[in-house]
Amino acid sequence: MPSGVSETLATLDFTPTAATLDRVITFLDGQGDGAASDTALRCEALARYEALPAPGARPSRGWKYDYAALKFEELRWTSGRIEMATIPSRPAPRPRPVEAGDDVDRPALATENAGGLFFVGATRVDAPSNVDPRITVVPLTESSKHHFAARLAGTLHEIVDWRADKFAALATAFENCGAFVHVPDGVQLDTPIQIVFASAPDDEAVFPHVVVILGKDARATVLERHVGEGDSFTCGIVEVHAGDGAELDYAVVQQTGEAARIFFSRDARCERDAQVRWHLAELGGALARTVLGAKLAAPGARAEVSALFFNTGMQHVDLTSGADHTVGPTSSDTVVRSAATDRGQGRYVGNIVIRPKAHRSDASLRDDALLLSKHAHIDSIPALEIAANDVKAFHGATVGSLDEDALFYAGSRGIARGEALRLITLGFFEPVIARFPGAALRDEIRTSLDGKIDDATEIDL
Amino acid sequence: MPITRGLVARDLRVAVENKEILKGIDLTVEPGRVHALMGPNGSGKSTLAFTLAGHPGYQVLSGSATLDGEELLELPPDKRAKAGLFLSFQYPAAIPGVSVANFLRTARMAVRPEDLNPAKFRKLVFDKLDTLDMDPAFLGRYVNDGFSGGEKKRLEMLQMAIIAPKYAVLDETDSGLDIDALQSVGRSVNALRESDEGKDIGFLVITHYPRILKYVPADVVHILIDGRIVKTGGPELANEIERDGYDGVRDEAAAARA
Repeated sequence: MPSGVSETLATLDFTPTAATLDRVITFLDGQGDGAASDTALRCEALARYEALPAPGARPSRGWKYDYAALKFEELRWTSGRIEMATIPSRPAPRPRPVEAGDDVDRPALATENAGGLFFVGATRVDAPSNVDPRITVVPLTESSKHHFAARLAGTLHEIVDWRADKFAALATAFENCGAFVHVPDGVQLDTPIQIVFASAPDDEAVFPHVVVILGKDARATVLERHVGEGDSFTCGIVEVHAGDGAELDYAVVQQTGEAARIFFSRDARCERDAQVRWHLAELGGALARTVLGAKLAAPGARAEVSALFFNTGMQHVDLTSGADHTVGPTSSDTVVRSAATDRGQGRYVGNIVIRPKAHRSDASLRDDALLLSKHAHIDSIPALEIAANDVKAFHGATVGSLDEDALFYAGSRGIARGEALRLITLGFFEPVIARFPGAALRDEIRTSLDGKIDDATEIDL
Repeated sequence: MPITRGLVARDLRVAVENKEILKGIDLTVEPGRVHALMGPNGSGKSTLAFTLAGHPGYQVLSGSATLDGEELLELPPDKRAKAGLFLSFQYPAAIPGVSVANFLRTARMAVRPEDLNPAKFRKLVFDKLDTLDMDPAFLGRYVNDGFSGGEKKRLEMLQMAIIAPKYAVLDETDSGLDIDALQSVGRSVNALRESDEGKDIGFLVITHYPRILKYVPADVVHILIDGRIVKTGGPELANEIERDGYDGVRDEAAAARA
């Protein structure tokens, strides 16, 4: 260990079994910080994991990945923290391997932040941070759950329906790191809160749990990053509660290494006039599965989803988004742009539910997919369930290839085919990128997409 | 053999989906001159424009097309543009997500990689916008995305002015334009012709109706009917078409071939 101090680090071989969970619970109980782990919850979650079917046996058209074939070999389950004397302060331009002792060019917290947390694998790197004194940004541990029990009540384990999703259940059973963010009533932040997960150099099974609670009229941006080149398996949940009139931008930039697997279930509950805007850029990993949801629980609540993925090589991305209009009037607006080349595979399932009491609600769902090679494939599966009258619901979807007329047009202006293809492909993502918070973040995503075009081996038809 | 300066088509025969559309075109557009190519619908006007620009859907059966002696037909579209050819499209394609500013810069850099720092480029763009009566807010919009017919044609003229090619083919640039838009197109072409960069541009103005030629006067007028140039003359030929339509010329041509 470098300049830091290690504390209470545990390392176990991971398998998704009761035997491993027993060892996890024994370790957590032995930490001696006065807060016993929620053994019953973890055991129930593991039982749900075992009982639930693998996602995606449903109508899946060309999507070929079989979650039942998922392997967990040579993964370690770790928990704990280390202290570091230096502040990891600079995001790396591209993902690279991260080691705990390496403080040069580490993908980390951007300099501008209102507070943040940094993890290597599941190990929290405990470094000085400039947390805005009005807010709480702390690791989610058994003791912080105990300490903030009153605030967490109604949110912790209540927003994401882990009993209904196999991998949300797995994340709940083996949770080993996470963050709790609380922005009190009326506090409005100018800079984002950043939570960075960097993969460890040796393969880890990481089970993050992020909880974000915004009080009445609070405003914040949370940026969740996934970086590094380790062959990690990450399976996490994010739970958001936005109080009356609160506004949250929650952006996820996923740039894990090319063999990484990363699954997340993220859900939000929006109270009266609250707005939650999910922004998701799935750029890395071999297999990424994301479920994004929002429950619009009171009149005036609004959810926006802006998501993009660009699968190159053998990448698979499986994305589901959902807006649940429980009462009216509430609104949701979903825009998804996806592209695939080489042998990239993608699936997008867009769910809109407008329940009987959700009169005068307004839902819009737009997804467009771009296929750039013969072997690439993207499924688009919209599902609108409307049980109220007097609502507005829009849905539009396209799956297509590059517009030859546009390519010829650009060519006639002297722009070579490869460059025209890059221009048109990047332009395709722009409606989603434009909705991400912050010019720097938008540029970072453009640069990353540009790099993916460079890396693609087969990008024409 | 001496190099023929000009945009030159020789015995150009072109098919679309195995149907012969152009049946032997001979045409020379000299630097600095304006040639009008007039003809009724279906005569092959746009086929000539797309063939010169290198659209993959057009199959050249025989002949050649050269630009200042360089054979164009073997080149991909971007190389033709780099050689100095510009096509103003009748129906310009939209490129959503790509701003006009970015597109103009990319195109200018592709065709003339050597010149213009960002400040000079900016000045050039704003000067040309002014000539065309275009709002600078145009620059932030996506290329032809949601543009009106008039806006699309103005953007074509803006690109032509910024690229300043050696030869420009204007394919039905007047179609769908109201009189204000037509005037601003005319102003833009004339301003370009009066500039140092533009004085040697050779124009091929393809049109169904003679009215654009009031704003961009032609030195030479060709009449294209059924894939052949059947008559070539001075500006008065356009007036003849305006007065009598294409029937007179068509009958004349038929009689000559009989």
